[in-house]
Amino acid sequence: MDCAVALTTQAANMPVSEEPLLDVRDFSLRRGQAVVLDGVSLALQPGETLGLIGESGAGKSTLALALIGLLRAPEVQLEGSLRFRGTELTRLKEADYRRLRGNKIGLIFQDATAALNPCFTVGQQIAEPLKRHLGLSKWDRRERAAELMHSVGIPEPRLRLDAYPHELSGGMQQRVMIAIALACNPELLLADEPTSALDVTIQAQIMELILDRVRELNSSAIFVLHDLALGAQVCDRIAVMYAGQIVEEGPSERVLAAPLHPYTRGLKSCVVELGSRTLVPIPGQVPPLDAMPAGCRFAPRCPKAKAICGEQRPRAEIRDGRQVACWFID
Amino acid sequence: MQEPIFSLLDVERTYELRRPGWLNRAPRQLKALDGVRLDLQRGDTLALVGESGSGKSTLIRLMLGLEPASDGRVLYGQRDLAQLDAEEKKRFAREVAFIYQNARGSMNPRMRIADILAEPIRLHRLCAESAIAERLAALLDRVGLPAGLLQRFPSELSGGQIRRVAIARALAAEPQVIMADESVAGLDVSVQAQVLNLLRDLCRESGITLVFITHDLGVASYLCEKIAVLYLGRIVEQGPTDAILNTPRHPYTRALLQAFPRFDMPLKASLSGEIPSPVDLPKGCRFAGRCPEAQAACRESDPALTAFDAERQVACLFPVAGAQ
Ligand SMILES: Nc1ncnc2c1ncn2[C@@H]1O[C@H](COP(=O)(O)OP(=O)(O)OP(=O)(O)O)[C@@H](O)[C@H]1O
Ligand SMILES: Nc1ncnc2c1ncn2[C@@H]1O[C@H](COP(=O)(O)OP(=O)(O)O)[C@@H](O)[C@H]1O
Ligand code: SF4
Ligand code: SF4
Ligand SMILES: [Mg+2]
Ligand SMILES: [Mg+2]
Repeated sequence: MDCAVALTTQAANMPVSEEPLLDVRDFSLRRGQAVVLDGVSLALQPGETLGLIGESGAGKSTLALALIGLLRAPEVQLEGSLRFRGTELTRLKEADYRRLRGNKIGLIFQDATAALNPCFTVGQQIAEPLKRHLGLSKWDRRERAAELMHSVGIPEPRLRLDAYPHELSGGMQQRVMIAIALACNPELLLADEPTSALDVTIQAQIMELILDRVRELNSSAIFVLHDLALGAQVCDRIAVMYAGQIVEEGPSERVLAAPLHPYTRGLKSCVVELGSRTLVPIPGQVPPLDAMPAGCRFAPRCPKAKAICGEQRPRAEIRDGRQVACWFID
Repeated sequence: MQEPIFSLLDVERTYELRRPGWLNRAPRQLKALDGVRLDLQRGDTLALVGESGSGKSTLIRLMLGLEPASDGRVLYGQRDLAQLDAEEKKRFAREVAFIYQNARGSMNPRMRIADILAEPIRLHRLCAESAIAERLAALLDRVGLPAGLLQRFPSELSGGQIRRVAIARALAAEPQVIMADESVAGLDVSVQAQVLNLLRDLCRESGITLVFITHDLGVASYLCEKIAVLYLGRIVEQGPTDAILNTPRHPYTRALLQAFPRFDMPLKASLSGEIPSPVDLPKGCRFAGRCPEAQAACRESDPALTAFDAERQVACLFPVAGAQ
């Protein structure tokens, strides 16, 4: 953990000799006229966990889907670069993407019920990537699937191999999703709100499980989260997104404990903690995609906005070991 | 002490699970609520918390008279809900309002907001037809929405707006009690903060009695002065919010608090396993299978909800001690 902080501070200040596992540079994604992601940049080192936070519609899931190649031309238009282990993903052929997805990059979605196929047993679904990517024999697949189910805390895995998803609780289905995502020891795990549908007690179990497994494999992970405090607990870095842009990004203890961007501050003052006495909502709403303000996209809601904010987009600056996009950083 | 506005006296709710093809077998019994005792005073704000499947929604359906208790009694004032006559039922419907979990789904998509809000006013003949427009404007103002929304359809409103409309509709008949099931779940933090502030102000200003279901202890503590924690169909702890947060006495309450994400504490999976099915309740304490404090005695006798001190009730043989 300590070394992650050291690494990231260094990453902020000077070019790192070692190439990051994931390097997103000035990445934009359009749906026709609408700019859904606008100049997103971030880097993830091996072993790091990153949390994407921000209100609904900020583009968190879009970024995750673009990373695994599920949003591509001609459905959307991409600009800029997404590099994973030195490979440029935006130019990758679908066949090559298929070799990465579920193999080097694992995926966990929010709604396990929707993501699992109701017609196949969980054993078959966990075995699928083992067959496709690792070419294991039928016998070995079944053995490994049982091992994986055990490793994600499913009791009596051998009895449950032949269960269908609907026979399992929401928490157990989410564990099956994790087993599938981790089946091939991915270097990067993408988890889009993996616990939003679960109780806090089960959320804590599942998050602990994901973190343990990710650390064991020395993999990196990107979590899309809506709970800031959970972000503080599970992420080394936090990227705050607003209306398709990253407005603040850096080590989570700095970004969340002492946010610099007015939007991050606004988000934090809305968080309900145990025993909160006051909540201060952010005024207004996220603007619709077809009516984005010209300058800073947060300007219509920002308590600190001045004339320039409405006219020119602030560039990301490095401040206190993080990137912040605002004209008026204290 | 004044008489409670609601009293639940050892309320049970069982559902019979019929398995297809097992004609001659007795159906299995699912006990969604098992011996719930609860007094609600006028002006109380009470949060019902607990994991999914603990019986929160069932409890509120019984308190709304939507379903009968299988055993025990639900009293509104002094009257048993099961025995209200037509006149009393009408009064109950006006005095006790419900905010549905799925605000959008609870509204007719072909009705304009104005008609949705006017419906309860007309039903209960609360004012002359000519005064309705004025009343609707006042209602929208009260929940912080512009009057321009009155002519729109539900599909034309955002998630936060539609929940405000649901609150406005609940307020339309000027109820004395509002019950709400997970009314802020799934909202963005900023919209959630707006809706919570609105509900809190409404209760404080007009002395409305609130029963709020949530699985989020933070939301419960922000909105309500009292908390009742449910586990497998029974209230296992209840008391004032601050006391529950600072010195939880039931191991389950403590585990819920420990699992709540916090900026200043590491992640803690405080409980293993999941809430079991209420079909075959174990002998002894229903929490014993997951309880870190469980002892041999816990598997033998089933602790009832009893007074722990002047303000708190706990159902546990070995309540958590100390000041924490
Ligand atoms: N299939 C689609 N067609 C058109 N627009 C879309 C589509 N999917 C997403 N969008 C738009 O792209 C923007 C970003 O959406 P995205 O789902 O990435 O947001 P998000 O940050 O994941 O939000 P949430 O917190 O609600 O999951 C939104 O304005 C959304 O309406
Ligand atoms: N109509 C019903 N038929 C059968 N079982 C039910 C019914 N309604 C609720 N239950 C069961 O009762 C228990 C409590 O459910 P519920 O009150 O919905 O809990 P909560 O709202 O706390 O999640 C659960 O085990 C649920 O499956
Ligand atoms: S650039 Fe201006 S409007 Fe944007 S966040 Fe900073 S102060 Fe606010
Ligand atoms: S009675 Fe025993 S098992 Fe039940 S909550 Fe108390 S200590 Fe735990
Ligand atoms: Mg999303
Ligand atoms: Mg419920």
